Amino acid sequence: MIDPNEPQEIKISIRNLYKIFGANPKMALEHVRAGMGKTELLAEHDHVLGLNDINIDMPTGRTTVIMGLSGSGKSTLIRHLNRLIEPTSGQVLVDGDDILGYNQRELRQLRKHRMSMVFQKFALMPHRTVLQNAGLAPAVEGQRESAYADEARKWLDRVGLEGQGALYPHQLSGGMQQRVGIARALTSNSDVMLMDEAFSALDPLIRTDMQNLLIELQGELQKTIVFITHDLDEALKLADHLVILKDGFTVQQGEPQHILLNPADPYIEDFVSDINRARVLRTRSVMKRGGDPSVEVAGEVDHDDNLESVIEMSGGDTTKLYRVTKNGEHIGLLQMRDLVRALVPQGGSDDPEAARRAG
Amino acid sequence: MATYDFIFDSLNLRDWCDSHGGEGGPMTMAQLLGQSSGEETTVSAWDTPFPSLDALHDACAAVPRSRDLTTGLEEGFMTIKDSLKVVVDPLTQPLSWALNDALWLMQAVPWWIMIPLLMLISWLVGRSFKIVGLLALTFGFLAFVDYYDYTMQTLAIIFVCAFICVLFGVPIGIAMSRSDRFQRFMIPVLDMLQTLPPFVYLIPLIFLFSVTEPKLYGIAIILYAMVPVVRLTDLGIRLVDKDVIEAADAFGMTNRQKLFGVQIPLALPNIMAGVNQTIMMSLAMVVIASLVSAPGLGVLVLRGIRSLELGVGLLSGLGIVLLAIVLDRVTKAALARINASQPR
Repeated sequence: MIDPNEPQEIKISIRNLYKIFGANPKMALEHVRAGMGKTELLAEHDHVLGLNDINIDMPTGRTTVIMGLSGSGKSTLIRHLNRLIEPTSGQVLVDGDDILGYNQRELRQLRKHRMSMVFQKFALMPHRTVLQNAGLAPAVEGQRESAYADEARKWLDRVGLEGQGALYPHQLSGGMQQRVGIARALTSNSDVMLMDEAFSALDPLIRTDMQNLLIELQGELQKTIVFITHDLDEALKLADHLVILKDGFTVQQGEPQHILLNPADPYIEDFVSDINRARVLRTRSVMKRGGDPSVEVAGEVDHDDNLESVIEMSGGDTTKLYRVTKNGEHIGLLQMRDLVRALVPQGGSDDPEAARRAG
Repeated sequence: MATYDFIFDSLNLRDWCDSHGGEGGPMTMAQLLGQSSGEETTVSAWDTPFPSLDALHDACAAVPRSRDLTTGLEEGFMTIKDSLKVVVDPLTQPLSWALNDALWLMQAVPWWIMIPLLMLISWLVGRSFKIVGLLALTFGFLAFVDYYDYTMQTLAIIFVCAFICVLFGVPIGIAMSRSDRFQRFMIPVLDMLQTLPPFVYLIPLIFLFSVTEPKLYGIAIILYAMVPVVRLTDLGIRLVDKDVIEAADAFGMTNRQKLFGVQIPLALPNIMAGVNQTIMMSLAMVVIASLVSAPGLGVLVLRGIRSLELGVGLLSGLGIVLLAIVLDRVTKAALARINASQPR
């Protein structure tokens, strides 16, 4: 998790991106720019509005999660980052370069060295061994198996597939196949990893495993990850930067804690009303910044602890006061009463059902 | 009086009819019969003939008869024949050489090398002792009844033709899978090749080439047998999982790498099924092609029909069946091995 106050370098930025599917997207684009919505465009001009004026900055070395329900355009969006889909209009800047100006050769270089991708349905090559699959990127580069085997094996070991390099993908379970998919992306040694609903096809326990694996890897490697999901719990667990898409436009984006505490519109309120806030919210998001460092407190908590752990520590006593520290230094105070209030959506309504109805 | 006189009379074309109608060549069979019976036939409404060329010709001599149409087709073919031959003859000459050489080779190698060699090949392809045994039994039996040479001739023709079918069929199938337009153009052509009765191929070929040339039957076999391998290559490549292709794109593969590294290997089971069908169809055609001097077991079948030698016909027919079974089992075993190495 990151401190929102720290300045961040931007790895990928998307500027005014539009994607319209249909026979004459340029014509339809004029209508969209003039303010026509998705349903009208479909009814009147028979064009589908995929993405509508998307602007996102993705910070270097962080996980950006793009969340939305099916049909919100999130898979379309991620495919613009390596141009598996061409946009109708807009810019995609990677390290400041507009990749839409790339020719085929430059584009292949980008896909080989700077971006790798993990797919929902794994998309492993069924006729190649696990090791050969993991080494796809160097193999595309023209390297022999003996040359890339060590590197590929290293990453297979890292994702927990020791000694299974000689098997074929169909001999592995779904979770293990996706581990191969992740190893394949890591072996390419690219800075950016695109993950298109990478864990959606897995069952819940294995999904949790894979999320933990990803968090662990991210702690070590600090890749720029773009992660697509339709699952808010997953999004909140992984995201440093959260983007919520609906019908092809961004409803809200920012730090996940911030979105959770300040949902911008009813659509997002609806979304966030169902999640376990105690597990997702961190002490730094509900504490009072500053305060008197010498005041008497019941104990110390880290700024990155979630509220669940504080509640457990307090034994349910709402009168207690805790010191919030970062790297051992005092940064604020946490009143248990504030904490309990934050557990209820929409800033302190006493009846969660009412809040849900309002959303 | 003919039935359709009224059309020409009402259109005031009678003069044109009479002025253009020649003597019209020899009489048709119907006219001859009418003449010999000597009575003027009156046609009831029930028997009104379809306004065909012949019926209209009766009413108006200027309308050609249907046999003029077929003669016209024949003459048309004859006029382009020479120029067509100038182009096609040198292009197909290598086929004649290949067939001649293969026929010579398969018969020149003594049986005690050839049969073990075929057994070795079937082992390498199929890795099954059963199939090697079946092959040994089949060829042993055919040699025992003195059909060894005929079998080798048939086999030589099949090998050459099936090889050429694959050589051209796979690239055509790949091209079809990559271009929808080319696919739309090829599908009716393939349909036609597949549904034309095999004898019909032979007719224009007989006019184009001399009957002594092996390429005559070679072309007929190849045209007939190439269809399945083309179709199944196209199908196989189109059936390759879109997600896998997308992954190949996402990791920066070139089109060539995708084709040889992903699409063809994944389409291989389908392509091999096509090869199997192609071999089976060339075997079917090689029997018919014995009508135009293709050597082999078909000649014996033909002898059985022509001179009513029932025994020869039955025995050679059995030989063809055995050969078909062996070829089918060997290619199926190869297919099964490919399938086993990459199940989905």
